[in-house]
Amino acid sequence: MIVTKSWLNEWIDISKVSTDVLAKMLNSIGLEVDRVHSYNIAKGIVFGKVLECEKHPEADKLSVCKVDVGGESPLQIVCGASNVRAGLDVVVATIGTVMPSGLVIKPVKLRGIESSGMICSAVEIGLEDCQSGIIELDKSIGKFVLGQEVCENPFFNDDLIEIELTANRGDCLSIMGIARDLSAALDKPLREITYKEDEEKRVGIGRILSLSHENNLNVNLKYRAVDLKELKIPFLMKLRLSQIQSKADSNIDYLMLYVMHNCGVVLRAYNYGFFSIANEQLAKVALLQDENGFASIMNKSKEKASAIGVMQEDASRVTYENGIVLIEASYIAPDEISKKMQSKKIASNYDYYRASRGSEPYLDIGLNSAIGMIQKNSSSSVYGGVIELCEEPEDKIISVSKNEIDEIIGTKIDKAKITKILKNLGFDTEKSSGENFVISVAQHRHDIVNRQDIAEEIVRMVGIDNIESKPFIFSEENRLKDDYFAYKKRQTYRQKAAYSGFFESVHFVFDEKKVLQEYGFDTIDEDKELLNPIVNTLDTLRTTLLTGLLRAASNNSKNGYSSIRLFEVGSVYSAQREESLKMALLFSGDRETQNLSNAGRAAKVDFSFFAQKISDIIGDFTLSEYKTKHSLSHPYQCAAVKIGNDKIGELFRVHPEVEESYDLGATFMCELDFNKLDFAIKTAKNSSKYQASFRDLSIVMPKEMSYEKVKSTIEKSATGELVRFYPVDKYSDATLGENMSLTLRFVLQSYEKTLEEEDISKSMSAILNSLNSELGITIR
Amino acid sequence: MKKWYDAIKEAQSVDEIEEIRIAVFGKKGVLVAEFAKLKSASDDEKAKIAQELNIHKNALMDELTSRKITLQTLELQAAMRSESIDVSMFSKTSQSGALHPVMQTMDRIVEYFSAMNFAVKTGTMVEDDFNNFEALNLPKHHPARDMQDTFYFKDEMLLRTHTSPVQIRTMMSTKPPIRMIAPGAVFRRDYDITHTPMFHQVEGLLVDKEGRVSFANLKYILEDFLKYMFGDVRVRFRPSFFPFTEPSAEVDISCVFCDGDGCRVCSKTGWLEVLGCGIVDPNVFEAVGYENVSGYAFGLGVERFAMLIHQIGDLRSLFEGDIKLLEQFQ
Repeated sequence: MIVTKSWLNEWIDISKVSTDVLAKMLNSIGLEVDRVHSYNIAKGIVFGKVLECEKHPEADKLSVCKVDVGGESPLQIVCGASNVRAGLDVVVATIGTVMPSGLVIKPVKLRGIESSGMICSAVEIGLEDCQSGIIELDKSIGKFVLGQEVCENPFFNDDLIEIELTANRGDCLSIMGIARDLSAALDKPLREITYKEDEEKRVGIGRILSLSHENNLNVNLKYRAVDLKELKIPFLMKLRLSQIQSKADSNIDYLMLYVMHNCGVVLRAYNYGFFSIANEQLAKVALLQDENGFASIMNKSKEKASAIGVMQEDASRVTYENGIVLIEASYIAPDEISKKMQSKKIASNYDYYRASRGSEPYLDIGLNSAIGMIQKNSSSSVYGGVIELCEEPEDKIISVSKNEIDEIIGTKIDKAKITKILKNLGFDTEKSSGENFVISVAQHRHDIVNRQDIAEEIVRMVGIDNIESKPFIFSEENRLKDDYFAYKKRQTYRQKAAYSGFFESVHFVFDEKKVLQEYGFDTIDEDKELLNPIVNTLDTLRTTLLTGLLRAASNNSKNGYSSIRLFEVGSVYSAQREESLKMALLFSGDRETQNLSNAGRAAKVDFSFFAQKISDIIGDFTLSEYKTKHSLSHPYQCAAVKIGNDKIGELFRVHPEVEESYDLGATFMCELDFNKLDFAIKTAKNSSKYQASFRDLSIVMPKEMSYEKVKSTIEKSATGELVRFYPVDKYSDATLGENMSLTLRFVLQSYEKTLEEEDISKSMSAILNSLNSELGITIR
Repeated sequence: MKKWYDAIKEAQSVDEIEEIRIAVFGKKGVLVAEFAKLKSASDDEKAKIAQELNIHKNALMDELTSRKITLQTLELQAAMRSESIDVSMFSKTSQSGALHPVMQTMDRIVEYFSAMNFAVKTGTMVEDDFNNFEALNLPKHHPARDMQDTFYFKDEMLLRTHTSPVQIRTMMSTKPPIRMIAPGAVFRRDYDITHTPMFHQVEGLLVDKEGRVSFANLKYILEDFLKYMFGDVRVRFRPSFFPFTEPSAEVDISCVFCDGDGCRVCSKTGWLEVLGCGIVDPNVFEAVGYENVSGYAFGLGVERFAMLIHQIGDLRSLFEGDIKLLEQFQ
């Protein structure tokens, strides 16, 4: 919503309020100021009058003018505008003027003729483009004296304020509406605006028009008729319409736009012929429901002229300069149309915006203003009387006690002050008694429905800055549970991952269905799929975190990073669209940064290094042979991650072909089911006070055999003294053939004593025996 | 004997000293030989020679020990000198990762409110129309739905457009009093320089008996919170409109880049809009079946906070796993 200071000043006296103060005040009453622009006309630009105007003898497109700018003798100015002519009041930049473009006006010779000054267009003096050619002044800008500085005129040196309105404030979609809110804030009345109408010798509208209607369409309508003749749009109106960036096709539509912006009533001008009937004196206007259920205006053959508050058909518009025109003012409750617009997708006009947010319900203000403006700027004759279809609005009453208002706001506000604010807002509080307010809400405030709304109005006008902040005193109880611990767990694992060298990455929960399918991931079931994705590459919900990390790794690789370590903790979806939390990690390229200690050649990440990193983050786990459902993984470097017997995720090298297509070196990834990760408080185990013994054992086993088997066999047969064991060396050569030698280190310890050699050999031989009998493994 | 004193003095290494020690004090050493000569000396001389020898023995030992310490020190010095390195030959080679700036910001916000004893609630991202709109006083035809462009699914479910449905879920499942925040991802169909289809919000809600919760309380906690997040800033409340609160306000802080003087970031206004808040609309309470209660609610965008706090210029870069950006937060 755009307002200018001079325009606002027509409704409320703000001549003594600076623009800064005005903007601050608008902000504080909830009308957010988006932009302030000052039009400053340069010094030296003055009002003038073209006395004579003749063709330039040497140039077709130039005119030589004598222009009176109040000096002793008129100036001779050569002008190139096509609309320059004798008798015109114009704006002249005199010698020495610095134009907004930086141009300095100097005496010049144009095709041999002296020119001392410039007759200006709107754009040349820094205004919006409101008129083609030079400015043609008229009395709409008030009295001016030839030679007077243009910057002294308040319509030229004006300030524009653009306000970002919230959806509920349809009542502020006009200059009058903003002025009305300001009037409450400034405690200053609105100016009375009256239009004189010549009541004599008029033909009544009833002689040329009749209105029929269906019932219960909840529309208020008023019609007047004008025999339009020579309507001219005055300069000020053009200037303002250019400032609010409005354009129309005809002069009458121009005028309608101006009046709508001025007072908020939805107005339309109709071609009278659209409704007239051959051989009949009375034209017929019918209010009927159209095929979409909108209250619509139609002619006798049921051709639609408009849908109230939604749109107007071109066929019913006024395309002629002279002739009979119907002027309609309408009001329809916002939810009557917005409900239907939601279900029917139909094109709307600019006035739908106004009507759907609540246009001005006081139709007379708009209608009278339109008629007044037409009379003032044309030689039209107006038909007497009004044809109308109006229902008495229901009184909207809200009762609220002073105490309730105070409680909502949290501070005590003087009763007289509340009364005054409500009165200034146009609310009737006559029926109030004692501490209870009985408020009849002004008709234009459709957004006010309950006592909270009343409190809000008080808050706006008092100013939030004037309300003292107060701590809330709460009945305490422990609120740190469930979801809080889930958040904490997430935070803890994220921190561990970051400390272990991984960068946290956040990706959209969207993914590309085609890509997911290509790699064999689950995708969302078709009947639960996204209806309106924003782009093709984000057309479904992700079912894995892996693809996002892979893409990010690829981008980083292209950016020249040789060591890429990323992780994400985030939601993924099952085919049935159930949400679950996963943690995924990716490690690609160098294990560490290139530096002195590795002579600039850092070792590359490998399976066991990556597994070690994951262990730094999630603690103990085991790996077992596994085949992933998707095809991102290397078929022979792929494991299920288990804690106990529970599979919590998968860990694998990326398939070499995928690595290549993503421009990556050896890349390892891991995706874990976050809910299966541990977040219990750790408990300490009793530890032995006796010395631990170490034994190394080299066994010969088939290369093909999984370590997992060896491990579980040892675990099954071990005596209580075996604390832990782990592989330390791997060896194979020609003599071993299909076998390899694996050295395992065993740690043995007792809670009761220092182990003797005899105890140790007993434990070790139990292990060896079962390895031999169950797997055929021998000592090397 | 004299020559051994000179030898000790001239010894150049701990090894040489050791050789001298053996030559003088060893079993086959000079002293043993000299003492052996005592046997053949007369009794008169014996005592005198023995005394002289003992003086030499002690003096040589002292000389030897002190020379040895000197030499040891010198050798250690030399050894250490040979180990000297150029300590300045270092460039940052941090191996650590980093948390995402938006998530870090979220962590800080959660930290503040959990210290204020707000419960943390998460909810789900796939929501229904009731929780996301209807219960929040946004019936189907409400003009405020214009403000939100929603991702829908074929089965009429939707991706939540704000974290507010978590409030509804919490109120539907628990009795008042309530004090909670809901941090999480939200979705709007908007993708340009200043909008991403997914971003993060933190929503707050406090509900207690009717008449207990006021706008003044809301103002208090938000002023305190914003000072915790942004340091010493000025806080301004502007009346505004949200369908689920009434009265509503937008909250600005004085621009953190120009301290309120007006710059490019704050569009010369000196203020940055950071929060929306208000007193919970009675229609919301009605929708969840609460009676005789009052409450306040607020909501903020985590990306906006992160971008202001860490002076990050490009919103979209936050969702690309870009190490160039992330490594700055090590």
